[in-house]
Amino acid sequence: MPDLKLAELNRVFLIGRLTKDPEVRQTSNGTPVTNFSIAINRKYKSASGELKEDTTFVGIVAWQKLAELCQQFLAKGRAVLVEGKMQNRSWETEDGQKRSTLEIRADRIEFLDREPRAAGTSGPSPDSGSPEGQPSGPEVSPDKSDDDLPF
Amino acid sequence: MSELRVPTLNRVLLSGRLTRDPELRYTPNGSAVCNFSLAVNRRHKDQSGRWQDDTTFINVVAWQAIAENVNKYLHKGSPVMVEGRLESRSWETETGQKRTVIEIRADSVRFLEKSETSQDSAPEAD
Repeated sequence: MPDLKLAELNRVFLIGRLTKDPEVRQTSNGTPVTNFSIAINRKYKSASGELKEDTTFVGIVAWQKLAELCQQFLAKGRAVLVEGKMQNRSWETEDGQKRSTLEIRADRIEFLDREPRAAGTSGPSPDSGSPEGQPSGPEVSPDKSDDDLPF
Repeated sequence: MSELRVPTLNRVLLSGRLTRDPELRYTPNGSAVCNFSLAVNRRHKDQSGRWQDDTTFINVVAWQAIAENVNKYLHKGSPVMVEGRLESRSWETETGQKRTVIEIRADSVRFLEKSETSQDSAPEAD
């Protein structure tokens, strides 16, 4: 039998709420990118049976069209489903120290708040000021959220 | 139609190799905790069509029976598949700076190395 290779598996699924408004910036070659954090709440019972809640904060990065759609349709407090992979990001502090963190590079972000503006229905969005305000496209599918329900 | 509430979803699936031997310790109340770090590789073509490898390093924490089994059977270089959730942990440095790390809390660690002595997978205790 031939040898196996190690499967490449790096997949993350999260649902959380944005901790601030997403902002898009451009890289030096003009690629749009956005960084934001989501808060993921978890309820659990402690050893003594008390109901407790904790929150995990995770940084998300999105590129290209997905970044622009996030800025257009998301704001602090909005709920999203994020699918992507984990990656390291390194930077230097002002005093020259090296730091590194883990973040999620999003492949897909689904907007979970049902609102006329974010619902992805037909027609231009009233206040986006652009006929391309419709959040359609392969990366984002806000109008398909019903498909994910088991019933 | 009834209104929906936001469900909790926090799932991570990874496969990779341990970057160092796992470290087992016990909390004051006797729970086993094991920390290890995974190198997760990804092979992809760059813009010029050449194959490139990039590696992501991810810290994992396992508790109880999983922690004991990881410590017993795994070592630097061991291939594993990990399933769990993301957790952030914050603390203050000696100089008063706030630091946060993200790590995976493992619900399941599968041992991928074929061996007569080691078992296939750790118990999937939570």
